[in-house]
Order: sequence, then structure tokens, then C-alpha cells
Amino acid sequence: MPQLTRLERRDTDMVLDWDDGTNHTIPYDDIRHACPCASCSPQRNEDETSMMLRHTIENLPREKPTVRTIGNYALSFEWVQGCSSGIYRFERLWKLGEKQDPDGGKTYVHGAW
Amino acid sequence: MTLSPSRLMADSPVKVNFPGQADSAPSVEDQKRMEQSYNQMKRKMSIAQMGKAIKHKIMVLSGKGGVGKSTVATGLALSLAQEGLKVGLLDIDITGPNVPKMMGLDGHRLDVMDGRIHPAKGHLGVKVISMAFLLEDEDTPVIWRGPIKLGAIQQFIGDVEWGNLDYLIIDFPPGTSDEPLTVAQSLPDISGMVIVTTPQDVALLDSRKSLTFAKSLKVDVLGVIENMSGYTIHGKSMPNEDIELFGPGGKTINATADDSGLWSATLDIFKAGGGKKISDDFNVPFLGALPFDPGFVRGGDDGVHRIVSEPEGASALAFADVVSAIKDQVEKSSSSPGLEII
Repeated sequence: MPQLTRLERRDTDMVLDWDDGTNHTIPYDDIRHACPCASCSPQRNEDETSMMLRHTIENLPREKPTVRTIGNYALSFEWVQGCSSGIYRFERLWKLGEKQDPDGGKTYVHGAW
Repeated sequence: MTLSPSRLMADSPVKVNFPGQADSAPSVEDQKRMEQSYNQMKRKMSIAQMGKAIKHKIMVLSGKGGVGKSTVATGLALSLAQEGLKVGLLDIDITGPNVPKMMGLDGHRLDVMDGRIHPAKGHLGVKVISMAFLLEDEDTPVIWRGPIKLGAIQQFIGDVEWGNLDYLIIDFPPGTSDEPLTVAQSLPDISGMVIVTTPQDVALLDSRKSLTFAKSLKVDVLGVIENMSGYTIHGKSMPNEDIELFGPGGKTINATADDSGLWSATLDIFKAGGGKKISDDFNVPFLGALPFDPGFVRGGDDGVHRIVSEPEGASALAFADVVSAIKDQVEKSSSSPGLEII
């Protein structure tokens, strides 16, 4: 997988530049909806709860997150409101940029990851 | 003078209500939260600074316990210090910290000045931080769940005044759980991991997990060290005589005495070659083999590491070879160009 070289935070989305020349634009709402934490993940297991999660996120005030690197393998996004717990592996961000399901179609089960 | 709420927070013990605000002074809980946030921010800045002040940070891991990880970590630190380098040794083994004993720092207490922890100085000027320095006595157990351990580790990383170092060697408890994960997540620019194993299959099985762990966290593996690799015995017989020994597993070991009748033979007590095999399997460098040396046991108990007591001995020379291989790998290891966040 290519390496992430640059991340630009814009008003409602972020632009990710990868070292193979690929650029992705990911809306913040998509990032937040794909939060991999143990609280948000199970909510994506069912369509209804997933839509409720999306609705909650879309009603949050617009804001740019603080972005932190987690070791060499992931990023975290800190928001003033809403969940900031998720650790996003670079692979997950790549999948989001490629419009793929970042969970690979798997439902979340506590303790299984 | 106009007083802003933030100024009041900082300076005034008096509670003042502003027009339109029923109660603008922060509660005790708010103040605590703000203080915590401030301390966390300070720690994050300090960790970022540490990334620059310490040139190379090396994690020493093993999947299995009892393979001599702390002995190897201490040996690496001392061997690097022998070369005149500035070295720190961080003992992250919260529940079984024994690096201080090996470094002759038993019973030592840490200095705290201006909210910063100052490491103890062991043999050859190696700076040491360990949980053992904070325990009342050596029989006191640390009975902590994960989140508390995590806090202590972050303090060890962020609140310690290491100063400028060439190398920081980090010794972990066995396994791939909270401790190495927290360090890999918190410490910037880690040079890589060194995996310590003994040659037998059980240790190798666990080492494979450590190697996969490193891959998963995208931390470079500098290589594998095979510890307790072989025990060399010496004897005397007739000059040029052929000697036949029955080693572990009934294996016959042959040796020939030299002109003065001296001979030596190496017994592979825990088998041999496992470290090399696992490095080949995972396509990572093999850094070398360290001999089984009872002197390490005595040195550990006496607080004088083998490298210090016998700097020209076979074990010290084996450590020097391993250190040389590590330094080569550190130079080669891809320094990531970094991520620009705007």
C-alpha cells in the first residue's frame, strides 16, 4: 500500500496525498461515520443504527479536527464534539479514499478484533 | 482593569458573576479537567521534543518470558556506552522490573525537579528509568490494570528528563500487549525492534508473534538475537588428544586438545540455529548469537553486568558484534520522510 505523505484539512473534508501520486478527498462526515472505536463500530452493524449514527454525525457542528499520528501506522482525529476515540490505520484511510467498505463487509464483535 | 474569565481562573480566588452569566468561574471539577488537559498537552510537547533529542530508540521484545530479554537490553545499553555513546535504558516491565538490580542501582530513588523525573545513572553512565525505583521495597507487587499501566508508561516517556541521547534502549515484559503497544503508539521515530529469542521451538513460536506484531504496527525489525545459544566448556588433557563428549540429547561432541592439552567444546543446551531460522522465515536480519554464560546470572545478582566485570570476555565480545550489527541496521533502516499535516 502507498505511504501517506500529506494531509490537508479543509472546511468540510480532507485531502490525502499518497506517495504513488494518488489523491483522495474524504468528507469529515465519512471519516467520523467510519470511526473504528468499540463504541461506534457496532452501530454500523445494522442499517438502522448505522443511519442513526450518520444522522447524529451530520448534525454535529462543522469543525476541522486536530490530527495526530499514532506511531508509524495510524492517525487519530480529535473533534471538539463527537467521538475522538478511533485509531485509523492508514489502510483504513486508503479504503475510505477508494470508496471501499473500511470494515471489509465484516460486522463488529467486541473482542474479536 | 477588565478581568476576563480566563484571567480570573488563573489569578483570582474570588468568584465573580459577569453580566448575563449566572456563574462564570470554573468549578473545581472544571479546573481539574483543565489542569489535566494542560498536563497532557505539556507531556505531548515533551514527547515530541524527546523524538528529536534522542537519536535512536530501540525496543527490545520477546514473545516468551525467560529468554534473557532484560539481560540483553542491559547488555546492549552497556555495550553501546562502552563505545562512548550516550545511552538511556527504559525498563517498561512494570510488574517485574529488574534492570536496576542488574545495573547496580538496587534501592535507588529517582530525583524529581520542576515536575520532571531525572533518571538514575548506572554503570558506564547509562541513564536508567524503572518502575523499581518507585516501589517501597522489592517485595512490593504492582497490581495494576491496563489503563493505569498505560498512564505510568506515558509518564515514563513524557515526564523524564533524558537529555540528549544517542540511543535509548527500551526493555519490555514478554508478549505483545499494553506495554509495547503504548510505546509504539506514543513514542515518535522509533528506530526499530530487536527480538530476543532462545533457540528452542517454544520460544521461536512466541517470537513469530512479536515479529508479526512489529509488522502490524509498521515498526522496523532491526533483527533477531539468539540468546543462550551455546555453553562452551573448557578442559585439559594430553596434547593433541581427541576428546569425545556426550552432550544434550546424547549427541556426541568431538574436540581436539591443542599442543598444550587445552580443549573446548560448545554444548547446545537449548538447541541451536533457531534464531537464524526465524529471521530467514520472516526475512529480517539475524543480529547474532549470545552464548549461555552463567556469569550473567552472577553478574545480575551482584549488580555488575558481565560486560562491566569482564569487558574483554567472550560474552562482551559477542555483545559488541551484536551491537555492531544493530548499528548497521539502524543506519540502513528507512527513515520515513514523515507526514505533512496542514
